[in-house]
Amino acid sequence: MKERMLTDSTASQNMSPTPSSENVSDPTFCATRRAVLKTSALLGGSALMASRAKWMHSIFAPAQAQAPGPEYELAKAENILYTTCLQCNTGCEIKAKILDGVVVKIDGSPYGPRAMWPHVAYDSSPLDMATVDGHICPKGQAGIQTQYDPYRVVTVLKRAGRRGENKWMTIPFEQAIEEIVNGGLLFAHVPGEENRVVTGLRELWAVRDPALMKSMADDVARIWDKKMTVEEFKAKYAAHLDKLIDPDHPDLGPKNNQLVFMWGRLKAGRAEFISRFVRDSFGSINAHGHTTVCQGSLYFTGKAMSDQYIGGKWTGGRKAYWMADTANAEFIIYIGASPLEANYGPPFKAGKITKGAVDNRLKIAVVDPRFSKTAAKAWKWVPIKPGTEAALALGMIRWIIENERYDRRFLENANRGAARADNEPTWTNASWLVKIEADGRPSKFLRADEIGLGDADSFVVLRSGQPRAFKVDDEQTVVEGDLFVDTVVGGIRVKSALQLVYESAASRTIEEWAQICGIAAQDIVDLAREFTAHGKRAVMEPHRGVSQHTNGFYNVLAVMTVNLLIGNFDWKGGMIYGGGTYDQVGSTPGKPFTLSKHPAKLTPFGISIIRHEVNYEKTTLFSGYPAPRNWYPFSSDIYQEIIPSAGDGYPYPIKALFIYMGSPVYALPAGHTNIEILADPNKIPLIVASDITIGETSMYADYIFPDLSYLERWEFHGSHPSIPQKVSPVRQPVVAPLTETVTVFGEEVPLSLEALLLGLAEKMGLPGFGPNGFEAGKDLTRPEDFYLRMVANIAFGDKSDGTDAVPDASDEEVELFLKARRHLPPTVFDPARWEQIVGPRWWRKVIYVLNRGGRFENYSDAWVGDQVKHRYGKLASIYLEKVATTRSAMTGEYLPGVAVYLPIRDALGREIRDEGFALHLITHREIFHTKSRTVVDYWLLDLMPENVVLMNVEDAVRLGLSEGDRVKIVSATNPDGVWDLKNGRRVPMIGTVKPVLGMRPGVVSFALGFGHWAVGASDIVIDGVRIPGDGRRAQGVHANAAMRVDDYLKNTCLVDTVGGSVSFYDTRVNVVKV
Amino acid sequence: MSEPTRRAMPRRRRFLKLVGVGAAGALLAEVTRDNRASRKTDAAGLARETELDQAQTENALLRMQQDLKRALAKPVAERSWVMVIDPRRCIGCQACVVSCKAENVTPPGVFYRTVPEIEFGTYPNLNRVFMPTNCMQCDNPPCMRAAPPGAITKRPDGIVAIDYTKFTSREAFEAARQACPYTALYFDDGDFYTSDTPGGTQPYETRRFYEYEGEYTRAGGQTPVGRARKCHFCLHRLNAGMLPACVTTCIGGAMYFGDRNDPQSLVSELLATHKVMQVKASAGTQPRVYYIEDELPNVRRLLSCRVCHR
Repeated sequence: MKERMLTDSTASQNMSPTPSSENVSDPTFCATRRAVLKTSALLGGSALMASRAKWMHSIFAPAQAQAPGPEYELAKAENILYTTCLQCNTGCEIKAKILDGVVVKIDGSPYGPRAMWPHVAYDSSPLDMATVDGHICPKGQAGIQTQYDPYRVVTVLKRAGRRGENKWMTIPFEQAIEEIVNGGLLFAHVPGEENRVVTGLRELWAVRDPALMKSMADDVARIWDKKMTVEEFKAKYAAHLDKLIDPDHPDLGPKNNQLVFMWGRLKAGRAEFISRFVRDSFGSINAHGHTTVCQGSLYFTGKAMSDQYIGGKWTGGRKAYWMADTANAEFIIYIGASPLEANYGPPFKAGKITKGAVDNRLKIAVVDPRFSKTAAKAWKWVPIKPGTEAALALGMIRWIIENERYDRRFLENANRGAARADNEPTWTNASWLVKIEADGRPSKFLRADEIGLGDADSFVVLRSGQPRAFKVDDEQTVVEGDLFVDTVVGGIRVKSALQLVYESAASRTIEEWAQICGIAAQDIVDLAREFTAHGKRAVMEPHRGVSQHTNGFYNVLAVMTVNLLIGNFDWKGGMIYGGGTYDQVGSTPGKPFTLSKHPAKLTPFGISIIRHEVNYEKTTLFSGYPAPRNWYPFSSDIYQEIIPSAGDGYPYPIKALFIYMGSPVYALPAGHTNIEILADPNKIPLIVASDITIGETSMYADYIFPDLSYLERWEFHGSHPSIPQKVSPVRQPVVAPLTETVTVFGEEVPLSLEALLLGLAEKMGLPGFGPNGFEAGKDLTRPEDFYLRMVANIAFGDKSDGTDAVPDASDEEVELFLKARRHLPPTVFDPARWEQIVGPRWWRKVIYVLNRGGRFENYSDAWVGDQVKHRYGKLASIYLEKVATTRSAMTGEYLPGVAVYLPIRDALGREIRDEGFALHLITHREIFHTKSRTVVDYWLLDLMPENVVLMNVEDAVRLGLSEGDRVKIVSATNPDGVWDLKNGRRVPMIGTVKPVLGMRPGVVSFALGFGHWAVGASDIVIDGVRIPGDGRRAQGVHANAAMRVDDYLKNTCLVDTVGGSVSFYDTRVNVVKV
Repeated sequence: MSEPTRRAMPRRRRFLKLVGVGAAGALLAEVTRDNRASRKTDAAGLARETELDQAQTENALLRMQQDLKRALAKPVAERSWVMVIDPRRCIGCQACVVSCKAENVTPPGVFYRTVPEIEFGTYPNLNRVFMPTNCMQCDNPPCMRAAPPGAITKRPDGIVAIDYTKFTSREAFEAARQACPYTALYFDDGDFYTSDTPGGTQPYETRRFYEYEGEYTRAGGQTPVGRARKCHFCLHRLNAGMLPACVTTCIGGAMYFGDRNDPQSLVSELLATHKVMQVKASAGTQPRVYYIEDELPNVRRLLSCRVCHR
């Protein structure tokens, strides 16, 4: 990279060097190296790239064209690489077209189901596909500008001023690694931090012996099961108590847990890489994602519903959910979803929806307070009051049950045997008997042993008045049950699960439900009637507008229950679970590589910082209700809890926070509460960010390690429940990295997340990385050591005998593979090394997969007759026993086990009214933007230079507002309507009014993605030089800070205390003309 | 459980009807062969024909690319390019706008294509209509008459082409722009998106690109900087056997393109089976862009450009 730095110096004259500190003890030290580094802190042009590319071009000069004019280089296979988009999380398959070493055009890949419909046969030659472009959304098209964002960071930055002051110094990678590992007086150059000693990672890596950690973990489980006392534990581990966070609470785990690693957008490949580092090698339990800021309660309701009873206990379920088979459905109700704008939708679903509409195959209804672009295509738009989605669903349930429009045959099936007899892939617990406590509360399912009918692992239904015991997975015995039961069996009061659902639905009339929703009763009836007029080819598909409320968990449960009433799971045109992916980790027999192999794997234990998947009552922290903060036995990846919990030191203080590709400050509702904690080095002593720009959150970091863009790196994007085929799109480097080259384990690699983790592992001597990192003879010294082996696993397929493997690439394809990568430097593409990593046996299969950007099952393979091939195929519960028998850590009350409607409440269950605030604030997504990172794409800003405050014309007239007026958004917890950046700057939440017809009166909305103050939107200082921000990135308003702070938690937004979701749509605001 | 009558015609039959089109792999092998004489017929592709998935033949993009291939086999004068747009399927995503900017390297303020939208109705019975629009490639182009002689020409295949060597003044551009009823012409003033950023002008803005039948770069004020610019139906892509960039990237499937002289082409089929309109046809411009104005069958609402245009 030295060459590049020198050539860049003229392009970056405005960033002249000033003396600053490389060596912390001597802030005036100025090495020659400094003069070089100063020019390359940000992406300063691309002189080298162009010069290298020209050289490459001369080697592979194209043949003369036959068509008139010059040959169109972008039509040539040798100039095209297939990879996977990451401009949003849909992860569409793309082809990157390279000219002179620069990615100049991105189009949809014909190989992928997201980017072409139907996608081409997998065995189509990439030579033939060169001229075939698929479809991709505007964000995907604009990805070039994310790649060449002039504000990209390309060298390591260290904080030169106070947290958030945005003063930085460039430092060598090795120095940053050394400081983070060993700690010390790292910020003595910052006023107020002269004496602040930072604990290094080496010290936090307290328990290193896998046997010791395993033993401690087992004994903590014994403490929770009351089989061991804390005193016994302390006596047993007397020699190791210094390794615990708090010996009096061993269930907090070891000090290792005080390293917290959080991420925003993370996909497979890197997920396993991070997990290997944080969990397996370092031994911290605190590796947490961002699910709850997306559609958390959709995932976690799905997890609870998919819980399976195996071996006498509920085993946990899978964090996943169901979505429509869009290409084959006849009627879809999109509720709180706009698949033409967001929700994993646009490229994958748009064509299927619009073609379905013009061909009269598909009718859609849209339930959304905003008249979205999806609503524009709908048969019916229902502008519901936000937060009342369960009320609508319960109204439909009542109508469907009372009019007997449900699938009785499906619902009566109580076990696998009954389902199988009816050719139903799935079944429910609708007919299972639930015990009713004396106070009327439904609790556990009746077990057969309680009425002397069988063992304790058998459930009971009533059939023609007679109890019948059964095992849920019994394939041989057909057991069907009566659907509506309210009786006494063997002296025990019981009701059927569907009876409980019906009672919840019948607790109000349809008119009353409609009133809650602010819609007409006829709307509910119309939706329910149409929904039950298409057999199994109807779906009610929820997304964020259903889950991101304080009542999100039960909203989702209500909507999913509506679907189960018609038994549409696993049917063509119904609700599907997705085709999934090929296993890349190598966890099944016969796989080429087992990437979980580790020479000294630790088993992290203890309560996580977000207190997830553990019941408050059984821990040593139990001290009555309410707990200081909520506990989440049914959820994980509770994004909004990470930083505030660290701020409160509950359940324990943390020492180091790593943030990867995430911006909780910008993304979270009431994200400003995170700023207060991040800005205080005493609350979180060390913050390390991996980011490609200096963002709204990474601006509070102590160190920023530049990452590779999505076009420069490896990842395995995975699939989505909407996609019925089995697919494994691969994200692979398609252009030369723009970040600096560094050395780890003696290998030259581009600065990246992997370089950061490899560098730390090398410095600390963490097992599981470096030479023989997997096992003898299998190194992990470069990213490709990990990722290429994953590609080999995908190429091998999922049959242990190898019959599922892809063919070997032909000579012609091998030649294309090499030629198409001629512009990549050896730091990311070294064919000899690559072949050595996977070995000759798999090499050509790896090429076959990479030449197509992944592996994709053929289109029509997804369906077998009237059902999908890849099935959920199990019990789907409408009554959740485990939930119903768990108490809220906030109120101490038992949680409901069936779909219910709950009003908007704070963490303590108190209804929130905020009556002085006249408008209900929601957000929406324009297809032009992902939340926090697409503002860098100028072509997208062309389409919409700023977002607006959308409101109904009626409201605008009432408030005396006209189009173009500027208003400030204020709420009960942000009366000033500002973001306080805690660096002396306050960013007001002022936006431009746009009165529209298509908004429910009383509701205002703004599109996410605008109103930035970082990511290049504001000035920053690097090495003493002010780098001006770009005002184009600061336009519009980001009103998340107006979103309600919880009255009990005080430093966190409103939350769904069961599903874990953050609340985006439950705040009342005023708009004040400025 | 209702079974709509349209399923009375089995999919198998539709498959047979289309099988003459050929397998995706095979047909594309042929398309690309036009540009790569060295490549042999893809035997694997032909083999795939036997296991042709009916679904593949329903892929409109592949079918139109096959149409394109047939057209390119004819002399230029026998081709008649037309665009058919189905606003019912346009979702206003503007992927086409961005794709066009990247493909044709247009600077800030220059748009070969736009997607205006209108919202109307009475709450809650509302409509939003999106109207993708670009140069209509008129058969009677007013811009051509207003421009200097030879600066704008009408190609035999129907494309209205700008000759960058003859169209050099801002005044000439203004005259042509004002003559065009579709605001299809823009002036390239040499601006860049990234020139004022710390990193300086980025390579995707100064890269080589293709328009009409030439190769250009905007670096250093070279042509087409200082010229009038507009949509040319991606002529450079057509010549390479590829559909216009707005057509391929359309995620709603609203865009169709092909040879009207070919009765087998998808565009000919659409024009024969749908009610279509041309925008401002009364001006006598004879545009080559057609808009489907049928209703959405189950919505019973007009989602057509007729809402604003007669």
